[in-house]
Amino acid sequence: MTLETMPLSKALNAGLRKAMEDDQSVLLMGEDIGKLGGVFRITEHLQRDFGEKRVLDTPLAESGIVGTAIGLAMAGFRPVCEIQFDGFVFPAFDQITSQLAKITNRHEGALSMPIVIRIPYGGHIGAIEHHQESPEAYFTHTPGLRVVAPSTPNDAYWMIQEAIASNDPVIFLEPKSKYWQKGEVEFDRSAAPLHSSRVVRTGTDVTLVGHGAMVTTLLQAAALAEGEGTSCEVVDVRSLSPVDYGPILDSARKTGRVVYAQEAPGFNSLGSEIAATVMERAFYALEAPVLRVSGYDTPFPPAKLEGTFLPDADRILEAVDRSLAY
Amino acid sequence: MSTQNFNLPDVGEGLTEAEIVTWKVAPGDDVAVNDVICEIETAKSLVELPSPYAGVVGDLLVGEGTTVEVGTPIISFVSDAGAAAVTQPPAPAEEPGGSVLVGYGTGAGATSRRTRPAVRPVRSSVGVIAKPPIRKLARDLGVDLSSITPTGADGEVTRDDVVKQASQASVFRNIETPEWGAVREETVAPKTAPAGLARGVAASASHDSDARTESIPVKGVRKVSASAMVQSAYTAPHVTVWKEVDATRTMELVKRLKTSPDYADIKVSPLLIVARAVIWAVRRNPMVNAAWVETDGGAEISVRHYVNLGIAAATPRGLLVPNIKDAQDLNMRELARALNRLTLTAREGKTPPADQQGGTITITNIGVFGMDAGTPIINPGEAGIVAMGTISQKPWVVDGEVRPRYVTTVAGSFDHRVIDGDGMSRFIADVASILEEPALLVD
Amino acid sequence: MTSSETDIVRVLEADGRFAPSPAAEQYLPLIEAISDAELEQFYRDMVVIRAIDNQATNLQRQGQLALWPPSRGQEAAQVGSARAARAQDTVFPSYREHAVTRIRGVDPIGIIKLMRGISHGGWDPTDPANGNTRLYTLVLGSQVLHATGYAMGLNFGDRTGTGDPERDEAVIVYYGDGASSQGDVHEAMVFAASYQTPTVFFLQNNQWAISVPVSTQTRVPFARRSEGYGIDSIRVDGNDVLASYAVSRVALDEARAGKGPRAIEAETYRLGAHTTSDDPTKYRTSDEEQSWQLRDPIPRMRAFLEGRGAAGSFFEEVDAEAADAAEDLRVRSLALESPPANKIFDHVYSEPHPLMDEQRAWRAQYEASFEQPGAQS
Repeated sequence: MTLETMPLSKALNAGLRKAMEDDQSVLLMGEDIGKLGGVFRITEHLQRDFGEKRVLDTPLAESGIVGTAIGLAMAGFRPVCEIQFDGFVFPAFDQITSQLAKITNRHEGALSMPIVIRIPYGGHIGAIEHHQESPEAYFTHTPGLRVVAPSTPNDAYWMIQEAIASNDPVIFLEPKSKYWQKGEVEFDRSAAPLHSSRVVRTGTDVTLVGHGAMVTTLLQAAALAEGEGTSCEVVDVRSLSPVDYGPILDSARKTGRVVYAQEAPGFNSLGSEIAATVMERAFYALEAPVLRVSGYDTPFPPAKLEGTFLPDADRILEAVDRSLAY
Repeated sequence: MSTQNFNLPDVGEGLTEAEIVTWKVAPGDDVAVNDVICEIETAKSLVELPSPYAGVVGDLLVGEGTTVEVGTPIISFVSDAGAAAVTQPPAPAEEPGGSVLVGYGTGAGATSRRTRPAVRPVRSSVGVIAKPPIRKLARDLGVDLSSITPTGADGEVTRDDVVKQASQASVFRNIETPEWGAVREETVAPKTAPAGLARGVAASASHDSDARTESIPVKGVRKVSASAMVQSAYTAPHVTVWKEVDATRTMELVKRLKTSPDYADIKVSPLLIVARAVIWAVRRNPMVNAAWVETDGGAEISVRHYVNLGIAAATPRGLLVPNIKDAQDLNMRELARALNRLTLTAREGKTPPADQQGGTITITNIGVFGMDAGTPIINPGEAGIVAMGTISQKPWVVDGEVRPRYVTTVAGSFDHRVIDGDGMSRFIADVASILEEPALLVD
Repeated sequence: MTSSETDIVRVLEADGRFAPSPAAEQYLPLIEAISDAELEQFYRDMVVIRAIDNQATNLQRQGQLALWPPSRGQEAAQVGSARAARAQDTVFPSYREHAVTRIRGVDPIGIIKLMRGISHGGWDPTDPANGNTRLYTLVLGSQVLHATGYAMGLNFGDRTGTGDPERDEAVIVYYGDGASSQGDVHEAMVFAASYQTPTVFFLQNNQWAISVPVSTQTRVPFARRSEGYGIDSIRVDGNDVLASYAVSRVALDEARAGKGPRAIEAETYRLGAHTTSDDPTKYRTSDEEQSWQLRDPIPRMRAFLEGRGAAGSFFEEVDAEAADAAEDLRVRSLALESPPANKIFDHVYSEPHPLMDEQRAWRAQYEASFEQPGAQS
């Protein structure tokens, strides 16, 4: 077993590199990803090693990036686009939803869109407006797209390769606040299929569910709860569309109490969807309604207030208390 | 000769009506495909309509200046008699929505509903405060939630409330539910079978095309208990003996125990007395608490000097026989508690496998079904099973007079390889004698 | 090709006389080399597609199609450019290129399927029989980015710019004056210029974007705008099939030779409505329509051919062929079957997807729960 400890950003870099070595049709495209290696250095040295015909510094035009990626896919390539920040994906929204998501269906299967769109997302980095968004719901709501979010370096290393290998369009959400978080990467084999969820901590009293950067916060909350005598199970969703409900429902039936936590604003969010499904499918097991801990339904605030906006261990534990009181 | 109508189409993506402004043809005119037949005015514009048919104009069905809805026949055509094949559009299929020929457009909306077999709605639990698992438990046990007085702090019905309300009979009702995993609750598959059939016939149960026959797959506990029964019934030669007895004193004892403070938190029933009676009778007739065992060296009879008393229970999982370990060491109260626990656990379908292993003798209570006696099948690994019948008032001779007394029949099936006729008879007589005079238990 | 010219390339006057404009001089050798058979084919292409186009409009008026966007009036621009493309080229249409798609090999029944609500596509662009013709794109301007990306792919894949015009590929993308305002068109030109892609941007300026005149879309000729990106651009009389052919041929061959992207603005006119839902009487005058009728590409070409001695029987044959094609399309359109209801779940993804299986299964049991099968089961 080959193991190495590295930050999530390096794990992504290694995964991209491996994907490009394994398949010559893979190419990377985005703003500043070539010489600079990306504003988060995720693509560092890749242009140096693979050349300008495989790692493209594109003009500053998100719709252009995704639209030309679509044309490149039609010509037989497997483009991996980088959108520089979550808040800047919206100019590409039309190409993503009207075209990328629908082309396979429009072509009645004659054409695949093996495109990955990498988007650093989420808060906790003290950045300015548009740099800390959680736009998951727009994409999970769009049929034809797949959406995934790794939470650890190991998941990042494997999931980026699996997303690239998929013949479907994948929105790959990278928790930017975890880019520098170190973790063990196992290079021999993937721990789990791309579209699977996973129990990352076992427990018996309450099930905590979330994805991306929130998984760390859930684990912190679970540790604190343990000290108070409450045993929490934590499930990492990993694949936001499709959702692997198996482990989530098994856990719900085991504990009877579920809390979903997300950075995104709660109204009409992924958490809402998962809550409704858990309610429907595990109804008779529920001792309490599924509770959601979310960002407030406001624009993401100036950084000084992000601590107020973003769910932390206290907000999660408040929901745990509430759940237990039913 | 045939007549075809042309209905007003939706010419503008969702229009609902149009006015016939001018007719460009008259009845009797010869018309070719695509010849303009009229001008219509819609909400969007003035539009010419070309003929979809070749033929002779029959009738103009709508007058100039009249507004009609999309889908209304506006003109009829008569196809030329004896003409060479004239292509016409095929008769438009009746498309849902009542709109244009192609089947899109705004449509009339539903005026009736496609029929489905009636699904009986569950209304009785509306207004009751109870969590989902409690509701399921109530349904499974056949308890009407609205009949319960809730004891929960917020006025909700608790698990205990439901379990206490469940009649004794409900423990033994054969309720089929889907495969039980290690989880607490299973989502109940949508039920389409009406009451009368075993509840919870899974949607996956295959149905004969002949509606009079139904095939239910045999799985899980039913499958296991069926094979155990077959093994027992066709290996041990079963002989059943029974004795009718006046159990009035048992009923009086039960009544007094129920009101005793010592038994305030324990459920007392005649089954408790029968259980004590069986254990007492086993001491005097040890051969019934044995088993016929085949070994490599030949057959043996294994006589156990402890009583793991099995109680046959039809649980939500199916027929199980959990047993109380070392029942001979329990006093009355302890035995009562053990029976309570066993019954509760069985009702909730939580009987662990360990509880079902190692039994030495079994009681099956068929009295709850109203049966007087029966010929029970011995639990595999044992040599005897006692059937407790219903206890009801019957005429009995007491001191030379006919009086109403609580009468019951104690029956038992025995493995004749292990026990002889006199052995089994003495055992049953001993059990009966306790029921007749429970004071004999005091020793 | 000279750049920065705003003179229009034209060789046929409205009345069919051969009278090259100054900007057309350089194309004369190419044009004069066109054979009589090819000239007749140009005419035939235009007449047949117009008949098909008329029939499709009639089908809509008869309730058989949801919609039809007529190509009426734009035949020369489409036929000329489509005949200029080589077999190995890839074509990205918008949604009005009925002549282009037919010439490339797409059966017009495919377009009917789109307009009749049977499919969002209509044909398979990866089937060689369809001549590398991509599907119609209904979001304006979107295809211009896809075309540019495809052309970038030709560069990266060494499928172009080798110096062999029989093998080197180019991309021609069609869009209109309205679409040209979309940001995606701008971005596509930025990318095309930056990566020097073998793309020919073919803009049919038919003067109207539904009811909005071209003056709202631009204050300069479109060819000047694309010049601004560093893309050599030319204006052509889009109602002159010979000129359209010539400028397209040269542009495509220059693009495939690695000389970079090219742009063509074809001046034409949308003689019909935007679609069958539209009413042009609300926003343009019959005088204007009349003036453009006089510049109709089909009579123009007919006059030219007659002037060269084409026989009357030729024109009759073409008319008969056109009528047959239209009738054939009508009959086949009426025979098209609705897709099965479960098609909704097919091809949403390329790979197996649990939600699709779930929903397909749910629908099956839902339908089975009724006493009578549904109309669309």
